[in-house]
Amino acid sequence: MDNYIRSVVPADSLFELSASKPTNYNMRCVICKGSRMLCGKASCPILVRFYVKSKTFKLLDSNQIHGSTPPGAFIGRMGYPYVYVGPLVPPITGDTAILDTPEMWGNRTMEDIVDFRFKLVRGKHYVKVTDIEKNKIVSLTRELALADAPTGIEAKFTKKPGGDIVLDDDVQPFGPSAPLEKIDAENYKIDRRIEKAYYDTDMKAKDAVLETYRSGVLVSKIQRAFSVGAFGQAKLRKFVPTRWSITAVDSILGLELLKKTKTLPQIGEYLVFEHKQLDNIWEILMVPSEWCYELIEAWYPRTVWNPTGNTIAIFSSAEFFEGRKEYAEIGGCYYAARLAVNEKLHEMQRQAGVVIMREAHPGYIMPVGVWNVREAVRAALRNTPVRFNTLGEALNYAGSKLAIPMSRWIKESAVLKYLMFQKRLDEYAEKT
Amino acid sequence: MLNAKVKAETLKEVVELLHTLVDEVKMNFGKEGLGVKAVDPSHVAMIELSLTKSSFEEYKSSGMELAIELEKLKEVLKLARPGEIVKLSFDEDKNKLIVEIASFRRFIPLLDIGSISDAKVPSLTHSAKAVIDLEALRQGIRGTESVSSHLTIEIKPDVFKLEGESEQDKVEMMLYKEKGEVEIEAKEPAKSMYALDYFSNVVKAISSAQKVTLNIGKDYPLKMEFAFAGGNGTAKFLLAPRMPDSI
Repeated sequence: MDNYIRSVVPADSLFELSASKPTNYNMRCVICKGSRMLCGKASCPILVRFYVKSKTFKLLDSNQIHGSTPPGAFIGRMGYPYVYVGPLVPPITGDTAILDTPEMWGNRTMEDIVDFRFKLVRGKHYVKVTDIEKNKIVSLTRELALADAPTGIEAKFTKKPGGDIVLDDDVQPFGPSAPLEKIDAENYKIDRRIEKAYYDTDMKAKDAVLETYRSGVLVSKIQRAFSVGAFGQAKLRKFVPTRWSITAVDSILGLELLKKTKTLPQIGEYLVFEHKQLDNIWEILMVPSEWCYELIEAWYPRTVWNPTGNTIAIFSSAEFFEGRKEYAEIGGCYYAARLAVNEKLHEMQRQAGVVIMREAHPGYIMPVGVWNVREAVRAALRNTPVRFNTLGEALNYAGSKLAIPMSRWIKESAVLKYLMFQKRLDEYAEKT
Repeated sequence: MLNAKVKAETLKEVVELLHTLVDEVKMNFGKEGLGVKAVDPSHVAMIELSLTKSSFEEYKSSGMELAIELEKLKEVLKLARPGEIVKLSFDEDKNKLIVEIASFRRFIPLLDIGSISDAKVPSLTHSAKAVIDLEALRQGIRGTESVSSHLTIEIKPDVFKLEGESEQDKVEMMLYKEKGEVEIEAKEPAKSMYALDYFSNVVKAISSAQKVTLNIGKDYPLKMEFAFAGGNGTAKFLLAPRMPDSI
């Protein structure tokens, strides 16, 4: 890919591109220009962006797009409660569903995912979040987001799409954008499983989320509906920034599943599940215990969130049986993984203590969103676990698959320390 | 048949203490009084309470075990004014606990007895014992909470010590036998660490005791005993230790 770029563009224009963006990429990048890998990453993030951009922009040399929305919508958060909303439109027609369905990205590479995302042009329309019936752009944005299949759209912008892409730890990347002038859509049908909640203006948003989930709607689809204010009591409906809606839905679903998880019998042995994806190693430990849960993330130097450090950075958030009151320190990924874990425990009809260890290696060059955490944990838990009789054996095994020594993980982990060092009253002989 | 009248404060204290560990309990209204055992979901902490017949204003029971959601009992007890009497009776046909305060009544539906597992009381032998003022213990726990989630208790023949430590901070509290700050019986020095959450909540929920007895061993469960309801009620709180980590 690097060769491709270098063959089609002069090095000077790459310099311009990187220098014009306020990013972490400092003087090193200027010297390197994507050729020497001075930052230590496996491929250059600036080039990845440019690569995709150049491809997309060829298709976008106009202020008008005709394409099929996957369906998709983006609700911004800057300036809340006044935000930009609008549909996602690629400059292609046909079955574009994969472009906005993270559940389908399991075996894709970083380049594939970035490619999907940067094909989607974000139409922007400025509204107050409560103005959900303001005009045609607003109502089409909302209803198209609920459509059961990709839908043809004719979008006219006030200028050619361009500008900043959205890269964020919580949301999937979003491509170029432009202010919307008008949109027209072909015939569409609202997903019938969402329709009921959409037209029921007495149903609480939480119940709508639970009901659509139970009827088999994908989490990403529920989140999209949630973000366009399709759920809840009539007077409370509003646009919810995409980023917030993701964590809201993960959290609502996880808490609901947890109610039952906490009543299920405990597992009988120690299980280790594993998965590798996008240069992340996932080791998931399940322990015979009452519910407790922790997500520990270790970032190698030169990964997305540790770009300049020379040492490994480890962060974690945990909860014990009673749950937690404050928002997780490590953010939305905590709730996404908690949902995936509870789905598995329900399938097993068991309760357990769960510790997720995620080791991000230098090939993880840019944030791709919380979906990656949810789907990676789901994928790990679909694998056959390795079984052990003791916590020590399970930890030894998981440790052998990770680069960071187990002692370091334990040191950072509230739950592992609890499992190792907290005694239970059952360990003392019963009074007769 | 159940007909029990008791001071609202007494029942409140029972409910508050139990609620620190569980949401639902089995209350055993025996012929000679009320007994309750509850263990938290992680089986790290346990509480055992008993109220003799004499701690009630009036007490008659044919002997029965009722499974109750504590939150409901708590709500109705909030209505009671200081000194008011609460009357408890059992409606067998409707399977409800009737709670009366003056002319107010609440009919609390009972839970399935089988849904709450029995707490298994461990057999423990402690090597050291200290009797200290509840206020001193409260102060020590409050002070420790601000630096750590764990507390170490140490009993030597002449001194009782509480200690809490984090990476940067450290707190300690010493009570000396010689100065009359503590009564100690210790065959040998004992020291154990405990998680603060349950311990702290239970100590906060005690409202009528002046003194508590702490029994420990070397890295061994804590047994805290105290009397309440004017000496007619006894409580026992057990807490499994946290082993010192070598990491």
